Amino acid sequence: MRIDSFVAKNANENPHQIALEEGEKTISYSCLDNDIDRIASSMAEFGNCRFAVLAESGIQYIKMLMAVYRSDNTAIPLPIELATFNMERILDTARINNIIVTEAQYSRFGEAFFKRFETVIVVSDDDSVNTLCKRVIEEYNNPNLRLVLYTSGTTGTPKGVMLSDRNLIANAASIIEILGITPADKAALVISPHHAFGNSIINSHLMAGGCISIVSMNFMGLIFSMMRSGISMFYGVPSTYRLLLRYPEKFKDAFRNVRLAATAGGAIDDIIVKNLKDSNPDIRVMPMYGQTEATARLAYLPSEDVEEFVDTIGKAIPGVILDVFDANNCSAEPNITGELVARGDNIMLGYLDDEIATERKIINGWMYTGDLAKKLPNGYFKLLGRKDDLIKIGDHRVNPRELEKYIESNNDVSGVFVVPVSHELLGNAISLMVIPNHDMDATCISSFCRKNLPGYLHPLEVLFIDHLPLSENGKISNRSIIEGYHNVKNSM
Amino acid sequence: MEKIRDDIIDFLKGQSFMDSNTQFADNESLTKAGIIDSIGLLELLDHISESYSIEIPEDMLTPDNLDSLQGITNLILKLKYERS
Repeated sequence: MRIDSFVAKNANENPHQIALEEGEKTISYSCLDNDIDRIASSMAEFGNCRFAVLAESGIQYIKMLMAVYRSDNTAIPLPIELATFNMERILDTARINNIIVTEAQYSRFGEAFFKRFETVIVVSDDDSVNTLCKRVIEEYNNPNLRLVLYTSGTTGTPKGVMLSDRNLIANAASIIEILGITPADKAALVISPHHAFGNSIINSHLMAGGCISIVSMNFMGLIFSMMRSGISMFYGVPSTYRLLLRYPEKFKDAFRNVRLAATAGGAIDDIIVKNLKDSNPDIRVMPMYGQTEATARLAYLPSEDVEEFVDTIGKAIPGVILDVFDANNCSAEPNITGELVARGDNIMLGYLDDEIATERKIINGWMYTGDLAKKLPNGYFKLLGRKDDLIKIGDHRVNPRELEKYIESNNDVSGVFVVPVSHELLGNAISLMVIPNHDMDATCISSFCRKNLPGYLHPLEVLFIDHLPLSENGKISNRSIIEGYHNVKNSM
Repeated sequence: MEKIRDDIIDFLKGQSFMDSNTQFADNESLTKAGIIDSIGLLELLDHISESYSIEIPEDMLTPDNLDSLQGITNLILKLKYERS
């Protein structure tokens, strides 16, 4: 089975049920299934080939994604928040010959951008499919490969997570079970569908035969009016809820009839839980934890324990085994800190074209999450930070060392240091400390970031310094940088 | 009206959302062109609220009002006009 087979199954059993909504537009399972067929026919001559999918969030994106699946090819959704050259880097690294793109994105990136592809298929707003060029080049991909999701393509070398039909279906089935999703549910998709969390909402609700209502986070007015249309399940990262909470009255109104509010992509706080419960005493709040490398979901905190155990990630979802390993790769006793590891049918096939990174991530069938954790006596898991220096900004994991290297090599400076600082909506944001090569204006750096990085990576401040923020043992780490930052701020 | 439009363009250029030589049609979509995303929109909203001393009601936070120079200009005019 593939994920799109569930659309076909639901189209057969319940053809008039609404599958997707986007503003005024709605589409039934039977129409969705037909459209997927039609778009898939434009890729029929290909088999097991990589297709980039370039589309803004919306019904079109889901149709195109499912059409790539149905034609038995591999979908590689491009995160549209990336600047053109970041996208080009993904395309170069992943050697993608074919692309399927919406009309809007085709005109945004322009004809020249698409010259690199052998096959370009443009899907217009009225669903007509226009193949601008086509050349089938045989590819030798892992035969189980269905979807590649990028974890971080912002800076450095982007890593593509290879997922199979089995991964996608196993994780969607577990999510349906823990959230109790039924065909009567209407889910809100307000986060990016190009990443693991958004993708898991699409898969689980289409598999369950329910409806998904799609709106982007750009315009709050649209979100609040969607919430009035009978949303029963809402999904967001913590910053999604914080953004909505800027409008407390509307927030209260929006969640009044929501039966379940799920979060993932970062630790949720008491304030969000309290506001949700205030708007609807019967609402179930369910924090979830996962990684792209695990398709999406690994653990969840049952809603009845949210108040008492909000600082934990709860327990493994059905079909997943979680454990904490010590430095010798042995299972650690409760309350002993080690690395959180996981196994299950949702664990990725590996990183795209990167066996070395794969071998480091999956050892003896266990996926190493990179998160430090301990088991609690009741069987729940508590996270205790990262093994590496990654910074969580919104729901993005950012490698500060890669970001520093990137800014350094594109500006006339001899050192750049990324400082994690707290941010009321995103949890964390960054400031920069920069060692300039000569007299320069801080706005040059800030303008460079604006142009080349997504909004969440725009530095709150750019401070010039004259020496390296080293720790006592001469190393540079998040800790030494934060110390250096405080010293600079104190002397200002 | 021209003045409001120019102020918004100055803000977008001053904050490096746009290059100083970018030519942008009044009805073109700022989000689809990749000029502004949800985080950038927050900065723009703060700028509008502060510079024009207006509060934008939640229901007006829609693409019609915020996704183009034309929409933003009309929104500001409307809110200023209604207030006085």
